[in-house]
Amino acid sequence: MTTHHDDRTPDAGRLNDLLAKLDEATAILADARDFAKPGKVRRVFDTARRVMLLEGGCAAIEQRARALEEAGVFIGSDWAHPQILIPSLTPHSLKSSDADTVVLEALSELRLLAVAHGTYEHSLISAEQAHHYLTQVLAINLELLFTAPSEAERETQGRLALMTRRLFTHLAEGIGYEHVIDQLIDEIWRILQQRPIQTDPVKRMVTQIAICRANPEIDLGTSGQGADRLVSSLFGPTQACREDPGVAIYAERLQAMDAGALQYEATGFARAMHDTGLVSPYHPVLLRHLLDHGDHLLAEALGLSSTGRDCLLCYRQLVQALIEEGVHPDTAQAVYGLALTLERGILYQPPVAPALWRQIGLPLTPWSQERLRLAYGDAVSPRARLLEGVLCMLGLPLGVGQGNNPTCQSARALSMWAYNDPDYLLQMVAWAARDDEIIMHFEGQPISSMASLSGVATTLPMDLDPVSLLVVPHLDRIYAEMGRRCIGREGDPHRWVNPEFHGWWAGRGFRINVDVETGQLEALEDFLRHFYASYHPYYNGNQPLIHPQPAGIAVTDSAARFIGWHAITLLRVTLDPQDVMRAYFFNPNNDSGQDWGDGIKVSTAGNGERFGEASLPFEQFASRLYIFHYDPLERGELADITQEELDRVIGYIHRSWGADRLPANGLQAHPGCS
Amino acid sequence: MKKNPDKGYVALLGWSLNAVEAAENFDRRYVVVAPDWAEDYCQKHDIPYLSWNFERLNDRSMEIAETLKEMGVDVAIPLFEETVEWAGAINAVLLDNPRLYGQALLLRDKALMKRRAQLGGIRVGIFEEAHDKDDVIRFLKRVNQTLLKLDGDPNDPIHLKAFDKAGCLGHRVIRTPDEIDTIPDEEFPVLMESHLDGWEFAVEAWIHNGKIAFLNISEYVTLGYSVFVPASPELEQYRPQITAQIEKLIKAFDIEFGLIHPEYFVTSDGEMYFGEVAYRPPGFKVFELLERAYGFNAYQATIMVFDPRATDDEVKAFFPKEVVDAKGYAGCFGVYPRRRVVSRLEIPEETEDHPYFESHELTAPLEETVTKRTAFGTHWGLVYFFGDDPHTLRDLLKHQEELDFYV
Repeated sequence: MTTHHDDRTPDAGRLNDLLAKLDEATAILADARDFAKPGKVRRVFDTARRVMLLEGGCAAIEQRARALEEAGVFIGSDWAHPQILIPSLTPHSLKSSDADTVVLEALSELRLLAVAHGTYEHSLISAEQAHHYLTQVLAINLELLFTAPSEAERETQGRLALMTRRLFTHLAEGIGYEHVIDQLIDEIWRILQQRPIQTDPVKRMVTQIAICRANPEIDLGTSGQGADRLVSSLFGPTQACREDPGVAIYAERLQAMDAGALQYEATGFARAMHDTGLVSPYHPVLLRHLLDHGDHLLAEALGLSSTGRDCLLCYRQLVQALIEEGVHPDTAQAVYGLALTLERGILYQPPVAPALWRQIGLPLTPWSQERLRLAYGDAVSPRARLLEGVLCMLGLPLGVGQGNNPTCQSARALSMWAYNDPDYLLQMVAWAARDDEIIMHFEGQPISSMASLSGVATTLPMDLDPVSLLVVPHLDRIYAEMGRRCIGREGDPHRWVNPEFHGWWAGRGFRINVDVETGQLEALEDFLRHFYASYHPYYNGNQPLIHPQPAGIAVTDSAARFIGWHAITLLRVTLDPQDVMRAYFFNPNNDSGQDWGDGIKVSTAGNGERFGEASLPFEQFASRLYIFHYDPLERGELADITQEELDRVIGYIHRSWGADRLPANGLQAHPGCS
Repeated sequence: MKKNPDKGYVALLGWSLNAVEAAENFDRRYVVVAPDWAEDYCQKHDIPYLSWNFERLNDRSMEIAETLKEMGVDVAIPLFEETVEWAGAINAVLLDNPRLYGQALLLRDKALMKRRAQLGGIRVGIFEEAHDKDDVIRFLKRVNQTLLKLDGDPNDPIHLKAFDKAGCLGHRVIRTPDEIDTIPDEEFPVLMESHLDGWEFAVEAWIHNGKIAFLNISEYVTLGYSVFVPASPELEQYRPQITAQIEKLIKAFDIEFGLIHPEYFVTSDGEMYFGEVAYRPPGFKVFELLERAYGFNAYQATIMVFDPRATDDEVKAFFPKEVVDAKGYAGCFGVYPRRRVVSRLEIPEETEDHPYFESHELTAPLEETVTKRTAFGTHWGLVYFFGDDPHTLRDLLKHQEELDFYV
């Protein structure tokens, strides 16, 4: 009993006391046997958390990074393998209400900072990799660097929210602000290349950059140059709104413009919109103004090609009504949705234009209105909000995202209908928004979304685009009910559910390479030969894929470990610009650019992808596929692919999700002749 | 740690990770005897393991004793209240001493235990067994008549405890006849005790060859909430009397070896009243607190005193000197949510900013509505403190009762 504590020691004194405790707790953890470590790690977490709350605490932890890691704070968690950590997961852990998760993430970041600084040589990750990883983490969590905790954060995290801010200030000083911004800009462009319907997260990040650039205390050096296009496309795409004057002033300025000036404005907006996929709130102001100024300027402001312009002229009244009802500064993305809808030419399908007229006048149930208000606020009427959503989904069928919900099936269905059967999508929207009920049929039996109790998602999802927000809860319940009606049948229920749920064009033939009972791989070679025969142009008589087909993917993480089963849509199989046969597909996950491990990186741009498509070389795609559909009447011979190619695909499977699914006889040597 | 074949081979009855870790780092051979859910874990971590489900003793009970004997195990150590009678039965075989089983049964039944203590000349409060609610009403009345209370005077409370449960489980305090109605029928039979105004404390005594090898006094700040070791000087002044009481207990229960964990009241006139005694490690993580305060591992200490091959010198060398060898005072506080509806865990800033604060093992709430506490119940987790002034620690622990950890 030698040391004496004063209750009011200053920060530095408290830091030293706590560090002594931390070092002691770390030493105890280091001495503990592996199975006993979980019991010893508590003291380390609790003390480290308090250290990081103090001035200089993060630096002190950084110095102790090696000792902490060697003591075993990361053992048994993903953080023990820094080489596989994914920056995009950090916002979840850093904002977790579970203090231990936040502390672990923070300790890991500080460890990587030590690695990046070269003070800690790590056997699994290099200084360059650590630096790169941290720049991405900073970019994704930029708000932790520049904004005070929001009410929500305070509510869930309390003082932890301050800890993460101290952490990020320390990280940014260690890495350099200039790296953060450039990384962030690249990240934004990467996401925008996929043209998501939901642009709010991206708009928030662009706003962060704008704020950061305007702050004289932050020295960005030469970085941030590439942000000009992004910032201007939102806040001042044209000459007349360059200095972000506000929509009211901009509307006044329009009154004074002649045709030439309006033409100039229209081109400026159109270019910004098609460059980025983002629409400035000024753009709707111009568009509404141009309704009285002739079709030429309108087409110009939408940036239409000859196809789009034809469509606009054919359906002039409908477009006028859509703009009047659905295009406001608060629903700016509707402009982009409208432009692309016109470009797709789908208005020429007889039911689409009348269905859109119904949409314009659609009465919404109180429940639908309430859901839209809850998610999007009161700035515009729920009907206008929904109309924006409809236009965006018709224009960007591959921009649908499932949000943070397990409803990939429903998101995929919406996307498929928008892509392939737009009037059916509009019918679904009408039923959901006007009637609060959708009825679909399963093997002749009606299934009502009202009667089905629960879906895959246990809570109502909120982080969705307006159409998904209203329709997904219904679809999800129907999908789950279809699954329930297959209980007791042998094999995988998707065999029956997928064609009934998605549409007649989903093949009734069905193949799966996993035995549902045991989870083991089954008839792998036949499965692959059949897949090649159905989809690969070299083996199916050079027949391009006609309808989008549902397919099932075994998703793996960047260390090629199995994560789960996932629903995607196979869209096209064709040669890419490098003459490699590629599969192009839609992933309802919000960001398709994923690393599936073992060299398989899903590409979203640069390999012939259209907006929103993901792609992989055919072999790599086949190696993650576990379910596909085909037309049983068209089934031909199994493809005669070379053993070499087959072995390559199977190699990918065995090294990843198939590693622990090898059937017992697959492990034995070939039986000898006896 | 390398095992010494000349020393004892012990069986740990029940699953306790801290006990396993202690055994692993000690020079005695050991085997964990635990239900089959522990098997995978033990296999994965190379922990010597024998599967056994501790239900009621039955005619298969000899089987486990014989198995352990064949393995060459010298003695079985109970880690939980539920395994005390098993240890008695097994040790009766291993040590060829049938009396040990009877002793274990005595230590498992609170009513029998009190009678034996009384016979041994130890002071106990008034106690009785209750089989239904009427028994409780009668006892409450009689106790208060004895205290010469008039009708209308506030009653002295009585305590109800389950016969064979550890610590505060099933413990209720009854003041009025209406409270008796709230006791569910399935809790009967119970042991009823008169309330003693005084200072309650617990003792952990390690006994070897019938003598006290180490005696710790654990001071309760508030029963069921907080405890710290070593005790404050105010309680430690009773150490000679407490030691004498423990010696009486050893004699009354004929205890040759092992760890006992009795509870006492000391009344304002310095008189000691025996509450109960357990033949197993105490709850509330007192072992962990002892390790923090003294630096010795109390599980290893227990293995040592159970080991029939341990010598007196070895035992003497193992233990530190009580109180003077402590590096400080270690205490813990059991958190109960104070609100009826809680949404999350939030350690009060003043708690975690206190220099004595060490760590906590609280987890986020699983349900929003807090079940109303009828009996003493189980706390939601412990918060640990360590410092060098017993009074600061005591006040700090007491103060925690006024704070919300779940909001």
